[in-house]
Amino acid sequence: MSKRVIIVPCSGIGKTYGTVTREAAYQVAEELRPETTAIVPLSLLVLGDEGARAAVQGAQVITMDGCSLACATLNVRQAGGAVAKDFTVLDAFRRNKALKPRGISELNEGGQALARVLADEIAQTTDELIAGGVDHA
Amino acid sequence: MPSLPKRKVGIVACSGEELPAGTVTRLAALKALEDLRPSETVTICLPLFLAGGEGDRAFARFYPTIAVDGCEKRCAARATELYSNKPAASIVVDDILAQHNLPAPQGLRRLTPESGAVVDALAGAIAAEVDHLMAVRWSRTDGAILEAAPAAQEAVSTSACACGSGIPVTTVQIAGRAVQIMALEPILELAYNQGLRANGTGALPDEILQTVQVYNTVPSGEEEQYAQALDLAWRAYCEQREGQSNG
Repeated sequence: MSKRVIIVPCSGIGKTYGTVTREAAYQVAEELRPETTAIVPLSLLVLGDEGARAAVQGAQVITMDGCSLACATLNVRQAGGAVAKDFTVLDAFRRNKALKPRGISELNEGGQALARVLADEIAQTTDELIAGGVDHA
Repeated sequence: MPSLPKRKVGIVACSGEELPAGTVTRLAALKALEDLRPSETVTICLPLFLAGGEGDRAFARFYPTIAVDGCEKRCAARATELYSNKPAASIVVDDILAQHNLPAPQGLRRLTPESGAVVDALAGAIAAEVDHLMAVRWSRTDGAILEAAPAAQEAVSTSACACGSGIPVTTVQIAGRAVQIMALEPILELAYNQGLRANGTGALPDEILQTVQVYNTVPSGEEEQYAQALDLAWRAYCEQREGQSNG
């Protein structure tokens, strides 16, 4: 059975760090690893959508959270998914303090760059998961 | 007992990443929050409902919310009702497209320029719902509109949660330290209006502690101390209400 690595960003509305997770997820799924990753919307998981639950239960999942409440990670686990790796924007920012994100509707340059840093790390993790035995389309 | 803060309207957007309409809900909600009605609205994070965001759950339980969804699955509306209360209003992007004769939005990460009209129309619809909800009387007890008549000007808040959600917080003393209890006053109001009363036995109605625990984290092993503090607040609230009735 073919499987992609599932990316679940928190996408926290109203918060810059949430926007960074959303942007990074799109960068991975649309540009960096379009063949081996897919995004599952967190809103569907919150509601208990069967398709979304099945998607995270049957694959390795990478989560991205914008704050310490870790909504993406918690919701994936509550849906029965296995979180292979959880990323937080705050950790990425601590490692790259020159990349100060600002803006919610539109990220500033720092936010875009921070999203790219996260996206690169996720792409690398995706490769490791695939190499570790995850089948993909 | 402090008066409740001025009412605000919570906006819950689905923000779904897999549909252009999900991006539309996110951008329209932000436009309403930041530009159109910044003083009357707060954002509620949908994933926090399940992850245990007590403040978000409490707000949606006691204050009006507008659910904004990108598709007919209506994740925002259904999750709000599932975890807190039925939204006061529910808007779906398709309805806005039909009303304004607009084309379906295009683009996920970046909407096309033409899709900006959809964002504007949806933001306008959200703002109109906000105006409606601010103009009617709202029952915190029932979580519903009381009647269509304009509300009297509400008192200015003297105690609101620092998170900016507008949820009232009450400070009580527990084991010698000040602890903030979120939404305590609406919870006591709800209990009183349901016919519960403080009596001489010293027993706090179970419903009150249980409801407080929905919206606040009660540390393990401190339930009894919390119950004692809540009992004092409950008695004070009942005395105040009975005084108002008699006076």
